[in-house]
Amino acid sequence: MFLEDIPLGHKATLGSYTFTQENIIKFAREFDPQPFHIDPEAARDSLYGGLTASGWHTAAAWMKVMVAHRYAQIASGMDATQENYLSPGVREMKWLRPVRPGTTLTYTTEPFNKKDWPTRPELGLLLSMNEARDAEGKLYYSFVSQVFIAKKPE
Amino acid sequence: MPEHLRFEDFTVGRKFTFGDHLVTEKAIIDFALEYDPQPMHVDPVAAKNDMMGRLIASGWHLCALAMRLIKDGLFDDQTSLGSPGVDEVQWRRPVRPNDRLSMEAEVLEARSSKSKPGRGIVRFRFDLFRTDEAGKRQLAITYTSPVMIRKREA
Repeated sequence: MFLEDIPLGHKATLGSYTFTQENIIKFAREFDPQPFHIDPEAARDSLYGGLTASGWHTAAAWMKVMVAHRYAQIASGMDATQENYLSPGVREMKWLRPVRPGTTLTYTTEPFNKKDWPTRPELGLLLSMNEARDAEGKLYYSFVSQVFIAKKPE
Repeated sequence: MPEHLRFEDFTVGRKFTFGDHLVTEKAIIDFALEYDPQPMHVDPVAAKNDMMGRLIASGWHLCALAMRLIKDGLFDDQTSLGSPGVDEVQWRRPVRPNDRLSMEAEVLEARSSKSKPGRGIVRFRFDLFRTDEAGKRQLAITYTSPVMIRKREA
């Protein structure tokens, strides 16, 4: 699939990720060892009133479901052009609610714009709005992703 | 361990330099197997043939490592009350096995919370640098983020 083939305004469900006390603490011990991410007792007395996942854990879980989704597409023959996705960065990351143990978030992505990248004319940038919601539809996390996608060869 | 920095210490324009972390090939692969299993992050052989030329760390791994350096070098257990998000992350240069990482933080804005006594919001620019085995130091990622910061006891 080339950049030109990707429709804008179509929301796709990438997959779900369940945050547990175990994976919240494991991630945070390694990368974000603040009391409200690693210590259930100290977290109770914190601003959050209980253990919450690191925002970077919520972000990394998006990548996990995104890669699994893409590899499923590649396996089904829908997307065979690129194995690796490169990105110059992301924008407007919003951690809107604390993510508690036992929360399952479902991640979606919706392309909304395409841009040229002057130094790499063979590539373009696809901008998408990404969201993570729980089973009741409450929004926990959103951000804008930017990914380089090959254009159709001339 | 950092000195016990609080809101009053984060004056606009103040800069902090901290952190020294060696990135191993195993750490790159372990993170990526869990959260970002694209060939360029998990497979040293496949990565050779890709546009990046060699194994590189996931951008999300770099964000998580930056957080760890911030927690170890800038914030103590009480400094931060969490963050509502990140304005923008730019992944500028890839990080490879055996690179060393270090951080710079600059205070862009600091304002006292009107509704919540005892804290303020500090907007930081965080720069993560890589130093390769030849000693060349380059900006790897840069991001700006507001963080809720505790004030000193009155």
